[in-house]
Amino acid sequence: MINMQPYQNPTYFLYLLVGLLPIMIGLLYGRRFKVYETIISFVFLVLTFGGDKWMQGVSIIGYLICELILIFAYLHYRKSKNSTGVFIGAVVLAILPLVLVKLTPFFAWQHLSLFGFLGISYITFKVVQIVMEIRDGTIKELDFKGVLHFLLFFPTISSGPIDRYRRFIRDYDQAPKQEKYLKLLGKGVFYIFLGFLYKFVLAYLFGVVMLPYVSKMALASGGISKWLVAYMYVYAMDLFFDFAGYSLFAVGTSYVMGIETPMNFNKPFIAHNIKDFWNRWHMTLSFWFRDFIYMRLVFFMMKKKLVKSRITMANIGYLTLFLIMGLWHGLTWYYIVYGFYHAFAIIICDAWLRFKKKHKKQIPSNKFTEIFAIVLTFHVVCFSFLIFSGFLDTLFFR
Amino acid sequence: MNVKKALFNIFGPVILAALILITILVMPNSSHKISQKTIYQASLSQSKNIFKGNVVKRAAFEENYVPFLGSSEFSRMDSFHPSSMAIHYDRSYRPFLLGAPGSQSLAQYFGMQGVNAALKGKKAVMVVSPQWFVKKGIETGAFNLYYSNLEAVSWLLHATTSQVDRYAAKRLLTMTAGQNSNLIRKCLAKIADGQELTSFDKTYLKLKYNQLEREDRWFSTLAMNDRIGKIERVADKLPVQEDFSKLDEVAYKMGQKSANNNQFDIYNKFWNKRLKKSWKHLKHKQSHFDYVSSPEFADFELVLNQFKANKMNVIFVIPPVNTKWMAYTGLSQEMLDDFNAKITYQLKSQGFNHIVDLSQDGGVDYFMQDTIHLGWRGWLKMDQAVSPFLSEKQAQPTYHLNKYFFSKEWQKMQGEELSNFLKDK
Repeated sequence: MINMQPYQNPTYFLYLLVGLLPIMIGLLYGRRFKVYETIISFVFLVLTFGGDKWMQGVSIIGYLICELILIFAYLHYRKSKNSTGVFIGAVVLAILPLVLVKLTPFFAWQHLSLFGFLGISYITFKVVQIVMEIRDGTIKELDFKGVLHFLLFFPTISSGPIDRYRRFIRDYDQAPKQEKYLKLLGKGVFYIFLGFLYKFVLAYLFGVVMLPYVSKMALASGGISKWLVAYMYVYAMDLFFDFAGYSLFAVGTSYVMGIETPMNFNKPFIAHNIKDFWNRWHMTLSFWFRDFIYMRLVFFMMKKKLVKSRITMANIGYLTLFLIMGLWHGLTWYYIVYGFYHAFAIIICDAWLRFKKKHKKQIPSNKFTEIFAIVLTFHVVCFSFLIFSGFLDTLFFR
Repeated sequence: MNVKKALFNIFGPVILAALILITILVMPNSSHKISQKTIYQASLSQSKNIFKGNVVKRAAFEENYVPFLGSSEFSRMDSFHPSSMAIHYDRSYRPFLLGAPGSQSLAQYFGMQGVNAALKGKKAVMVVSPQWFVKKGIETGAFNLYYSNLEAVSWLLHATTSQVDRYAAKRLLTMTAGQNSNLIRKCLAKIADGQELTSFDKTYLKLKYNQLEREDRWFSTLAMNDRIGKIERVADKLPVQEDFSKLDEVAYKMGQKSANNNQFDIYNKFWNKRLKKSWKHLKHKQSHFDYVSSPEFADFELVLNQFKANKMNVIFVIPPVNTKWMAYTGLSQEMLDDFNAKITYQLKSQGFNHIVDLSQDGGVDYFMQDTIHLGWRGWLKMDQAVSPFLSEKQAQPTYHLNKYFFSKEWQKMQGEELSNFLKDK
């Protein structure tokens, strides 16, 4: 049987067009064919997790059964009680499969562990989010089919963007007005084509044409060389265009289906500082980390009066957030260093912003300083990607 | 109506783009000329996209360019490099370099498939590196670099159910690149299985061929290495008169001047870049190297079959290994001699009689530019045989190919078995 990874080649888009055509026609007339959507989602999931990847298909089914039992059991429990212990237990159980998948390559030398599958992180983020919102009381009722659709929404299954349950279900439960849908459709088609430019032209140019060459030259020169610097820029561009291109496909496809999946990137390389950068880069992930880790931790510290200073509190929050983000990428030294690096960058950035506020009169602010800020931020980010790439590991330690 | 207009605004450009793309891709290729400058640059570039493509090679072979098939040695561009010599002495032919590290027999075979018609009756030069003939033959990673779907589609359009084609299909299927496309994989499997392709397959392949060749025309010359300046600079250092003893003296002096920072007479730049750090670890490390038992012999037979089918007259060059380096790394001369005897038999017994056997010259001063690649005096000696072969009219050879050279028995034959076999002949 055939297997196709999301958005991998033109054929996939051809299938997508054919599969989505009835949905488009329905939405144009203000109707959402839910049964058809379910069927076509299933078809595309089989395309991704079937064929020679059937092991992943089995894993995802097993995983979903466990997580669904967890969600509904917790919802049931939460209706009558609200113990913090049970809540923590539910979160731990929700992320347990992901943690195990991330840990296995560390113990057994397998690339993907037995029960891992493409996109496990992103579904886990969604599950944790539902559990946390049940705890908060912002989610009081869950529709089984709605949850399943939300978790398995095929356009975003492999790498996000990470949508929110309540937002998703609002779109999913109704069809947009014709006028609105036409706008969505226009944007969706545009995003998909912009994605072609990003992923199949620019990411190809940087990732397939240039990267192997600069990589070879940097390894041949050894140590710190101009080729290493070139590698840094090329890798950063490849990373951006590859991921942003993919995200555009996911968002564009969602729009065509009348679902306003949030955007993932907003011109990250014109960020004025690191904080600004994280509001523009992989936005749905950083907002997820902000809402479900950072805010909660800070709030917890405040309530328990663990730390007096608000600044220290924020800094502990940043360190925790980025360390977890680093660990999530994988258990290697460079991901962890990447996490720390960004945590410190944002702590320094915060300190600078406070200093700037206090000395508003003395510090100039004009076009030149603005450009300087953008260039500086860009380079801080590019260097972090160089760490992230693992190339330094190959260069110095292999 | 408003909706119609809105939809037209959204999908109009998409449909238009799709139509234009399909028209351009499937339309047969126009005979748009490739410029002389492009061909010249391509002939020196050793670019993979040129190797894998059809359009530039075809244009070149219709001119006085002669295919020089080989691998990494062609990038040793000193003054005595075949391209430099042909340019400086304004020979009647110009080399078109086809090959770079890793382009072994199978890659060369598929590389010819799109241009067989242009190669009809032509002469060619093939440098056969002993290093190709390793235990497992060409590695799929190396092969993939020189493979394009265009080569496979060109080949499939003429593939038959002959034993030779079945062997080629089977070999291609063992390479990961041969699995690139469902269409190609299925067609290859049919040929390997001894089935004919259907007319539907052929029509589809033909459309695919148009598309791929058009892409080749558009993209293969982009980002091509430009070595024109380099080759003309080194060519300028040659004496005006083409006189062998004078040339040999210049080659000796050039070698002496640029290979003097190591005990192996290896080109200084190569030494500094590739060996200076690691050479100490290589002592006696090559004593187990073996170039006698290898599937490469059968892949090489494929190439010979193609030469015959194209009625080409080919001169083969067998380069030596740097003797000083061999003594240090422990590479066996006996093994190299066996290789030489085996390949020479495979060639001569089938009527390929033009062989430049340099295998015993690895110890001649400044013959090699580095460990295994010809340089200064080596290039010159090769030129002594190749230049007259290409410049003068040659009798049309008659080839009588023997399927035995595809057999596992021949591929693996070595040691006493080989020497007994060759003695009997």
